[in-house]
Amino acid sequence: MSAVLAAAAAEVSTGEAIAFWVLGPVALAGALGMIFARNAVHSALWLVLTMLSLGVMYMVQQAPFLGFVQIIVYTGAVMMLFLFVLMLVGRDSSDSVVEVLRGQRLWATVLGIGIAGLIVGAVSRSLTDVPVENLQQQNAGGANVNNLGKSIFTEYLFPFELTSALLITAAMGAMVLGYLNRHEKGMKRTQKELVEARFRGEYERPSPLPGPGVFATANSVATPALLPDGSVAPESLSRLIDSTASETFSDEIKSVAGTEPGPDAHALTPSTKDTSTTDTKNTEDTEETR
Amino acid sequence: MTPTYYLLLSALLFSIGAVGVLVRRNAIVVFMCIELMLNAVNLTLVTFSRINGKLDGQVMAFFVMVVAAAEVVVGLAIIMSIFRTRRSASVDDSNLLKY
Amino acid sequence: MLATVLTAQPVPPADKLSAPAIDYGAIMPVLIVLGAACVGVLVEAFLPKHQRWPVQVVLSLATLAGAGIAMAVYLGDESTPKNGVITLAGTLAVDRPALFLWGTLLVLTLGALLLIADRSVEPGGAFVAEAAIRPGTIQDRAQVAGTGMQTEVFPLTLFALGGMMVFTSANDLLTMFIALEVLSLPLYLMCGLARRRRLLSQEAAVKYFLLGAFASAFFLYGLALLYGYAGSVKLADISNAAAGTDRSDALLFGGLGLLVVGLLFKASVGPFHTWTPDVYQGAPTPITAFMAACTKVAAFGGMLRVLQVGFESTSWEWRGVLWGVAIVSMVIGAVLGLTQTDVKRMIAYSSIAHAGFLLIGSIALTDQGLSGTLFYLLTYGFTTLAAFGVISLVRNADGEATHLSQWAGLAKRSPVTAAVFTFILLALAGIPLTSGFVGKFVIFSAALQDGMAPLVVIALIASAVAAFFYLRVIVLMYFSEPAADGPSVTVPGAFTTASITLGVIATLVLGVLPAFALDWAGSGTFAFQ
Repeated sequence: MSAVLAAAAAEVSTGEAIAFWVLGPVALAGALGMIFARNAVHSALWLVLTMLSLGVMYMVQQAPFLGFVQIIVYTGAVMMLFLFVLMLVGRDSSDSVVEVLRGQRLWATVLGIGIAGLIVGAVSRSLTDVPVENLQQQNAGGANVNNLGKSIFTEYLFPFELTSALLITAAMGAMVLGYLNRHEKGMKRTQKELVEARFRGEYERPSPLPGPGVFATANSVATPALLPDGSVAPESLSRLIDSTASETFSDEIKSVAGTEPGPDAHALTPSTKDTSTTDTKNTEDTEETR
Repeated sequence: MTPTYYLLLSALLFSIGAVGVLVRRNAIVVFMCIELMLNAVNLTLVTFSRINGKLDGQVMAFFVMVVAAAEVVVGLAIIMSIFRTRRSASVDDSNLLKY
Repeated sequence: MLATVLTAQPVPPADKLSAPAIDYGAIMPVLIVLGAACVGVLVEAFLPKHQRWPVQVVLSLATLAGAGIAMAVYLGDESTPKNGVITLAGTLAVDRPALFLWGTLLVLTLGALLLIADRSVEPGGAFVAEAAIRPGTIQDRAQVAGTGMQTEVFPLTLFALGGMMVFTSANDLLTMFIALEVLSLPLYLMCGLARRRRLLSQEAAVKYFLLGAFASAFFLYGLALLYGYAGSVKLADISNAAAGTDRSDALLFGGLGLLVVGLLFKASVGPFHTWTPDVYQGAPTPITAFMAACTKVAAFGGMLRVLQVGFESTSWEWRGVLWGVAIVSMVIGAVLGLTQTDVKRMIAYSSIAHAGFLLIGSIALTDQGLSGTLFYLLTYGFTTLAAFGVISLVRNADGEATHLSQWAGLAKRSPVTAAVFTFILLALAGIPLTSGFVGKFVIFSAALQDGMAPLVVIALIASAVAAFFYLRVIVLMYFSEPAADGPSVTVPGAFTTASITLGVIATLVLGVLPAFALDWAGSGTFAFQ
């Protein structure tokens, strides 16, 4: 295989040309999609497309290790971090169409075409007849990684060590901006402190409010809790959700209060049917209130 | 076809990224455009590495990836902190500092 | 292809790696600073909150002293080569200009660190107690009243200082790029940590970050094109390649242009200044002082090395463009400075004008240009440091009172503060007997010798215009009636007093007896290898 590659040293092999003409337009489409997509999440996904095709291009261009790192680090880690933040920020944070500075888009586009024209012109003019050296020697027998490592630890030792300062800074920066000590004075109380404060009388009542449906037979949030005497516990009523009308509970109220008539001698399962109907009713109610 | 085409592709990607930075208003998308520019630079480095027949370009692309990763952490932390306050990631809403 | 890779024979055991030679004596100051920054991180991790501040302050001051001593020992050593050493496989060049810039950075960081550590002017310091608390909430009001602070600022400052020191002595563009990020990331973070006006502060951080990352992408593309041109990113190799190569010069100048855009952004020159006023205004004042003084030193130090080592042979091609940039910078700084109503923004525009002057010195590619620019950086750093120190003292109930109208009649409230600030403004304007005058004088004479007379004329006009807005503040302080509800001047504690005194005395001494510093600045040129 290296012989084939060596023969094609000056020119690019057909396979690579095909790969380029497939991946190049895909990468460009990804980039354009990123700046034109209105939704930020779509932008991120377009960028992932560009990065993936660049990764494959690195592999084609005799940088197999870098290609894998590109896919693992960029699309796997960096872009996932972006998506995470976008989801936290609210994925519907799309751009407004209104231009704040008039003509800004037009001028930015003109500037961009200008930059592109200049660089493309410079590069294409300068490299048309430059021989391509290729990297067969350095990559022979899969030694790409070995040679990269070698030069990182000899020629590029200092920059490599210096990146540790970057990584420490990044970790510390994320801690400084993101970490909130909630258990300090003036912050949220721990459960233990809260219980103590409650029994010391700092709150209206020592226990939490009764949840919905306590001592009742349904578990919908719209079902009020019943007290031992069968009456509805007013604290359990939600301020936001309309509670189920109390008539529908008349049977349960009776059963909790013990005033319901004794089972009929002929009945095998006295109150199951009633309960199930109330359940359905409750669900309907809740759905209406949503 | 010669490897020069890769350089042209990367110049185009770089310019698209630069235009995106100037045009988009969402701070996170602006930052993604900057990442695109860094990726374009990496493609240039890898291609020149091949043209020059030296591995240095690949090593440099490697360093760029490390730097970009660190930059992403810091940048997203800063953007998150302002977002938590403002509930908006638009760069136009950051308009307190004007003379 | 994958199959081929997998079935390939195991690589024969390569010859043993030989680690690059390291001149530990030469790079000891950098190692001390970066090492201490790591220790500072450990202090944050393992000490209880109330012990961190004193430990961090002592550690940081000891670091600066230690690095200074290590540098003095290295300089005093007889065996130290006069024209510098290049160590660590050619990535770092420790030569006379680099050592001068290291010394400048260490002293200026000392001043900035004293401002950062101060807890007397603002109870608890200028930094937020917990950056993660949302501004405007009850917890936020509680933390404004409290006395804690994020002591992570100290290791971050040391990391930034380490990045700056490497940046000024980086001998290849890759090291320079990484150093640029090492110095920038902590600054982005620290910009957002103000205790008061936190929205402004966070906004400044976002702006600085986005524009900084944009600029570093340009720097990087320039690096890539130069790599394509020269086959190496070592400055000396690029310079040699310019003498003879088969590649077209389009790559060289495209690369240089993009590279310089990135550098000019960091140095807040000319049309690349847009972040400067916003960030200077929004960031906590001690950090503004640190940025204004030290980032400028580092950025121009790096630019001097790039232009003089890497691109001197092609200077006639690019010098015209930088002429234009210098003119634009001076004009923007002087004219827009006139319209400002905020003291911090005014000093920011003044820094843009000064960046223009510094650029004149940087493109005078002579020994006088080099030594003049180095000297100017030293003087400008001290003066700005003292200026922001004084600005942090004028306060009302909401924190710093930076609006110009609030400074009216300051001389009647506090004659000493007004006198000190007047002296600083005169130094910024370049009045004789201050360091600003000597700095401008050496830069302009170097530019004249290098045949840039028209540029010097424009610079003189710009400094005359700029002098007007400095004088406006002086007039305001001395000849207006103070407002009834105006700000009061806080009596500073030991740290801020020491910092302002350091800045003012250095400004005075460098103005009256500049010879020793000029000699040191001119004691050698960049190592070329």
